Amino acid sequence: MTVEHYYAPKHLDEALEVLRAGNATILAGGTDVMPQSESGKTPLRKTLVNIRRIAELTGIRLAKNEVRIGALTTISEMMANDLIRKHFPILAESGDHFASEQIRNAGTLGGNVCNASPAGDTLVPMLALDAVVELAAKPNGSVETHTTPLGSFLVGPGKTRRAQGELLVAIRIPVPPAGQVQRFFKFGTRPALDISAIAIGLAAVKTKGVLSHVRLAYGAVAPAIMRGSKTEAVLEGKRLTPELIEQAAQAAHDEVKPISDVRASDWYRRELMHNIVKRMLIDVHEH
Amino acid sequence: MGIAPEAQVETIAPHEARDAGTARTIEKDSLIGKRIAKLDAPDKASGKTRYIHDMNLPGQLHGKILHSTRVHALIKRIDTSKAKALPGVHAVITAEDVPYQRPLGVSKDHMPLKGDRVRSMRDEIAAVAADTPEIAEAALKLIEVEYEDLPPLYNVAEAMKPGAPVLHDQKPDNVAMTFDYSHGDVVQGEAESDVVFEDTFKLHYVTHCCMGVSGVIADFDSAGGLMLYSQTQVPFLHKREFAEILGIDPGRIRIVQPPIGGGFGSKLDIYPFEPIAIFLAKATRRPVKLIFSREQEFRISPTRQPVLLTLRSGAKKDGTLTFRTATTLHDNGAYTSWGATTPFVIMQTISSLYRVPHCKYHTTAVYTNNPYAGSFRGYGNLQATFAVEQHMDKIAEAIGMDPLAFRLKNAQDPGETTGQGMHFKSCGFKDCLRTVAERGDYLRKHAENIANQAKPERYKRGVGMASMLHVGGGAKIYPSDGCGTIVKIDDFAHVTVMTGASEIGQGSETVIAQLVCEELGVPMEAVTVVNNDTDVKPWDVGVHASRTTFIAGNSALGAARKARDKILAVAAKATGYDASALDLRQGTIVMAGTGEAIVPLAKLLRSLHFSEKADLVMTTHYYEPPSEHQDKGFKGDVSAAYAWASQVIEVVVDTDTGIVKMEKVWGAHDVGRVLNRLGIEGQIEGGVVMGQGYALTEELIVEDGVVKNPAFRDYKLVTAPEIPEMDVTFIESMDGEGPRGAKGVGEAPAICIAAATANAIYNATGVRIQTLPYTPENVYRALKGVNR
Repeated sequence: MTVEHYYAPKHLDEALEVLRAGNATILAGGTDVMPQSESGKTPLRKTLVNIRRIAELTGIRLAKNEVRIGALTTISEMMANDLIRKHFPILAESGDHFASEQIRNAGTLGGNVCNASPAGDTLVPMLALDAVVELAAKPNGSVETHTTPLGSFLVGPGKTRRAQGELLVAIRIPVPPAGQVQRFFKFGTRPALDISAIAIGLAAVKTKGVLSHVRLAYGAVAPAIMRGSKTEAVLEGKRLTPELIEQAAQAAHDEVKPISDVRASDWYRRELMHNIVKRMLIDVHEH
Repeated sequence: MGIAPEAQVETIAPHEARDAGTARTIEKDSLIGKRIAKLDAPDKASGKTRYIHDMNLPGQLHGKILHSTRVHALIKRIDTSKAKALPGVHAVITAEDVPYQRPLGVSKDHMPLKGDRVRSMRDEIAAVAADTPEIAEAALKLIEVEYEDLPPLYNVAEAMKPGAPVLHDQKPDNVAMTFDYSHGDVVQGEAESDVVFEDTFKLHYVTHCCMGVSGVIADFDSAGGLMLYSQTQVPFLHKREFAEILGIDPGRIRIVQPPIGGGFGSKLDIYPFEPIAIFLAKATRRPVKLIFSREQEFRISPTRQPVLLTLRSGAKKDGTLTFRTATTLHDNGAYTSWGATTPFVIMQTISSLYRVPHCKYHTTAVYTNNPYAGSFRGYGNLQATFAVEQHMDKIAEAIGMDPLAFRLKNAQDPGETTGQGMHFKSCGFKDCLRTVAERGDYLRKHAENIANQAKPERYKRGVGMASMLHVGGGAKIYPSDGCGTIVKIDDFAHVTVMTGASEIGQGSETVIAQLVCEELGVPMEAVTVVNNDTDVKPWDVGVHASRTTFIAGNSALGAARKARDKILAVAAKATGYDASALDLRQGTIVMAGTGEAIVPLAKLLRSLHFSEKADLVMTTHYYEPPSEHQDKGFKGDVSAAYAWASQVIEVVVDTDTGIVKMEKVWGAHDVGRVLNRLGIEGQIEGGVVMGQGYALTEELIVEDGVVKNPAFRDYKLVTAPEIPEMDVTFIESMDGEGPRGAKGVGEAPAICIAAATANAIYNATGVRIQTLPYTPENVYRALKGVNR
């Protein structure tokens, strides 16, 4: 379909007004929208809304006990931000594995969430860090916002719970508790410009060798980024020992539901889950 | 006319320069072995080079091709009426519109436009010429095609079964081509053996990934002459072949090659898109430009030949090789291109890389509904070397000899003639072996790694060695393996070299210019190379077989020497000195002994031009190498020289993930002599990386006849951080026939990498993997013993 209307609003209010009419494609960094429309996978809709000029969607701020990241924050901006680097080092680290420098300069964090790729690089650490997304809409003439946990927002490949007329305006991540350790690992077959075969994010509070508040997030092993709840249960409140680590690695291997594609087979993805979760926990145990 | 006073000068005496107070001496200097920037580098680096993609002719239309959506089917109906009715469309053609078309390819089994039947997903069934590429694309979508599916053949085993569907009527057994070679008696060889191994090696599909995608512009003049802007590597051979396909006089075809964005063998054959663009130009009487998308480049371009290679080798306990038997099975794909003929090269490695007294080789290329294979840098040698060099390690281990000593014992020496009749006049093979072993500290590391295999460490280190033999002085497979050159020098001592040789980024024009400069004593900036127009340049067989520096270099040298002789004769006459006492240096005639400057070359040339017996310096030379055609048993000294190389590779294998990190490559290359050091370093480094991609990362995934990864996202070229450190040594064996002693090297650096990597992984882990590529999953599976 050919684009018939193009809007580039400067204010959130205007953007939501346009979105309310429906049948619109939202354009931010364009690093997913453009190749997907070019290949015919997701054709552009009649209305194209460029949200790039909306100042309300930018900026990273500390408010109360959480960091609010504007949806238009690029991957590069996120990586360079002091608040992110201090509180969420694995989020900054995931940016380092994200496509190429050029794409990181254009692609946005909000876009990475809404694209909802099962292999989305920033989604794995954000899910491990208990991120919530903030959505805005203008159903009855005034702007309304609400939040929803990232884990329930992501439904499947390219699918989210964002309703028609809604715009993702920010991602909010709680400031980590004292003593939290974070780990991130992305396995692609090469060091740059690769799509994950698997990705793992880990956040947990470590007290005298015991892990609590354990959060594990897995990428590219299910239709959407998933929490490793069975692995978490193995670890929660326990002292890390070689036996426990092996048990957790086995749980990770068993609880994922990967597919076979041109990047990796399901068997290999499970093997990697086992081996990498094990290496991560040994590393947490030793440091 | 400022030139008039000089024009009257007929004799030039040494005192002239001295009187003018400019007397000086010029030392003899040589360009050979220097680091010379490629002539095309500034334009390419700054984005100024105008590739075929950047060219547009006035009145030009854009061509697009409709490809089959079935792997094997009858075409019951094609309806182009809606496409023809689309505004902006100038022509829509199918096979019916070009009854004069003739089949193309090595076996003439491939019609440009398929009429009643398709045999692969890439088959061309209709084409459109329109005002814009977008309109042409929209028109393709309006063409209705009705198919009736036929049973498909996705692998060689199925295709060879009795009763299998026949893909080409003239080949009822689906066998596209066979080769048989032998020398000695392998039965006797096996009887004399203390150890015998037989293994099967499986080599995969890869494709060239030229940065410049395929394209062509066809334009007829009003008298019926055809101008073709083409990326071909073999313009003169293609003039003839296009003429046959199109039914026109080859003399009316002119091929111009704009700068070519990568060849690597991919442009050695004619592909259907080229005659189709010509059909469209003929139908519309307008220039037609046809350029592939990257996705099409992946789906439609030829591949490297996938091969199933079974090798049986034997040796005595003392380390003497006794025999070698090889059988290869090639997936030919739907049509026959050059890939089917790679056995020419495979058999050379099997028979002659090492001294093998008894050898037998049989190969079968079988039609399937898969993509078809073309020629690709190395031409079967990567596949052959992968098998032979793994067997060398395996035998050495079995007889308890170190792998270097075993290789040295069986390596060829200068002067030998092999069972296949190849005569190694220059041969630095043993120097190559010793050099890489020493520089890579191979033997110490090899032993140490074996001792470490049983340790529980996650990361395992390994070293592997492999060597190669390849033609380095052309390959006499056509009636002539020659190249012509024209040299002309203008009134300002600017030299134009018109060479038959084509440039595909390999740096040949720079080397040719360098050789001419060396003869004529002029600086590099005084030379222009013209090498891209069949109406201007003399005949050449084409850019393939690592032949250009050797063949075109010798041709250019011949023309330059004739020019030099003429210049010195004129100078002798003008100055009264004997020609042998004179020399050419820095654009000046000098005394050979003292270097004393006598007269600028430009001035001498003007004095020749504007004299009573007016003349110009213009010379020609045709060089034909002293090589032989093979006989019917594939025996003969097919190249005028042979290139050798050995490489040692060090890898680290991550046993948790299967990732193989290539840390360092040591290479020793017998190149005869280094001409342009910068150019040859670049060519070797590039070749190593191409070999690395073949070994570790690249695979064109073909499932049921369909390419599953037609994008750089999933077809993984090596990226910068993965490239290993390299240590390259040049062995200068000074070939007697080579230009200034040089031999060809274009294909050599890519050939050993996969084989050496295989041996390195074995050294690290004790697991031998006989199937490529070594992607993390494939390696991990092999380590765990779990097949797909």
